Amino acid sequence: MPRSNAHMWFVGPALILMFVILLLPIGMAGVLSLTDYSLGNAGASWVGLDNYEKIFTRSTYAKMFGATFRYVFVVVPLSVGLGLGAALLIHSTKRFGDLYKTIYFLPVMAALIAMAIVWEFALHPTIGLVNSTLEQGCGTFLESWGWFAQGCERGFPLWLTDRKYAIWVVSFIGVWQGFGFNMVLYLAGLTSVPRELYQAAEMDGAKSSWDRFRLVTWPMLGPTTVFVVTISFIRSFQVFDTVEAFYPQGGGPSKSVYVMMFAIYEKAIQQNLMGIGAAITVVFLAFVMILTIIQRWLVERKVHYT
Amino acid sequence: MTDLSMAPSGLAGRSTFRFSTTETLKHVVLILGAIIVLMPFYVMVSYSLKSPAEIMQNTGGFFGLQEAFRDDYCIKLGNAVADCMVTPAIYNYTTAFAKAPLLRYLLNGVVITASIFFIQVLVALPCAYALAKLRFWGREAVFGLVLFCLLIPVHAIALPLYIMLAKLGLTNSYAALVVPWSISVFGIFLMRQFFMTVPDDLIDAARMDGMSEFSIIWNVMLPTAVPALLAFAIFSVVAHWNDYFWPRIVITGNRDLFTPPLGLREFKGDADGDNFGPMMATATIIVTPLIVAFLIAQRRFIEGITLSGMK
Repeated sequence: MPRSNAHMWFVGPALILMFVILLLPIGMAGVLSLTDYSLGNAGASWVGLDNYEKIFTRSTYAKMFGATFRYVFVVVPLSVGLGLGAALLIHSTKRFGDLYKTIYFLPVMAALIAMAIVWEFALHPTIGLVNSTLEQGCGTFLESWGWFAQGCERGFPLWLTDRKYAIWVVSFIGVWQGFGFNMVLYLAGLTSVPRELYQAAEMDGAKSSWDRFRLVTWPMLGPTTVFVVTISFIRSFQVFDTVEAFYPQGGGPSKSVYVMMFAIYEKAIQQNLMGIGAAITVVFLAFVMILTIIQRWLVERKVHYT
Repeated sequence: MTDLSMAPSGLAGRSTFRFSTTETLKHVVLILGAIIVLMPFYVMVSYSLKSPAEIMQNTGGFFGLQEAFRDDYCIKLGNAVADCMVTPAIYNYTTAFAKAPLLRYLLNGVVITASIFFIQVLVALPCAYALAKLRFWGREAVFGLVLFCLLIPVHAIALPLYIMLAKLGLTNSYAALVVPWSISVFGIFLMRQFFMTVPDDLIDAARMDGMSEFSIIWNVMLPTAVPALLAFAIFSVVAHWNDYFWPRIVITGNRDLFTPPLGLREFKGDADGDNFGPMMATATIIVTPLIVAFLIAQRRFIEGITLSGMK
């Protein structure tokens, strides 16, 4: 059927939807970011780069970038590192590997909003499990640790409402939720490392397990790592559920947890400031796209598809 | 003779059971990790079974004592005290369903997740087939576009999508929850890669039999693609059942349209001391379906979720 135009019917709907749902909004965000548009107003005036200037000069947005980057640069290395660590340990144990794998993967499956609410309970200063567990350590050797002794004396931190801890606690929950995903990807990567390589490395004098890891496992996991790091970046840039659950207004103590997705939500949806919301969207998209392009470039340099 | 043949296996058996410091150390680390990972799940299920007093005082172990307690709300309604004694676990779970239309939320969740998946397949499958098996002008360009669109996280463009829907008067509708997800470029990419591996002979034979291109997709390609489709289904269902951000934006106020995550969030908004138990029960109910499905079909789930990593 060389003259058939069936393909138009097959590709057409997808193509139209791609334009309307994915490409058009990017253009819209770009245009809106140069205006002071808000829903319900008849028109909008052109404000040029004002919105971007605000984003890069005002202290609120400095806090936004601060919170986002703190979160991302805690969650990405830790969730990748713990994912790799867990995968290596599970891969090398003889027993119960599947059990650990199942347990570590559970948070990936659970609705993050539900688990955020549970964490809020666990971290509750008076009825929470975390602080009551810590209190049980009072009077033991743990008190020799200055921080712990202080906690016993004056009470343990109000994790989520203390400016000193909030962003790190939220990041911790991000790591808790995400490292199982990375672990599974690394486990898939580990099973595909050929056994002969280890034997060859051993013959060449790689005696310790560190040598074997450094010379064989790590290089062979290169493509997996590139992928895992990128996807962790993209996922952690998009953090929203925990922040909204803990701090429905304002982004945490002194805006210390004011991440970008929450800022978009607050400015555009809650306050109807579409222009500034669109500008944050554009900056956000730029970050994500640059990251993905770097990933693709790294992958294509190393791996060649046939 | 028997002795000789038994000896090696006996030795091997002993060596696997031998105490090893590194092996033990590994398990210690892994178990510690498991405790931290499981802690919130423990809190969630445990609190969903306990009475308010037990939650406040942190007593009663995992299951609580299940002693009947007085439901003040019931007394306020003018019932006798004796009629208002309730068992914590039963009280928590019945309140979860009674206080908010949780059943409705769950149904919404099922309807929305299922619609999203079916529309995604309906759009993606023909496109993937055309990209993999048909030769037409502009095919490379379309595929290039698909690769570009893979870069775009839909959550990130929520704002312009919201404006579009608002302009069309579609916020607070099922359409608002489903339409933005109708196109899955990831689905197209995935199915295209899968269709590339289907032999051309199969399609040629179907054409010889006089099948139309359309029925080839649904009667020849679809059945061969079941494994990939299943993986995609898991990927899609998990993402949208758990999604909170998008429903939060397009559904404002109209409780009839709430998805389970929104329902839970609403519950939290007006929870006071007595409602912690029912709230945890709600959380348990929302999280359970996927967790149970995952425990039953672990391998498939892990494949489905990590699929994106196997490009």
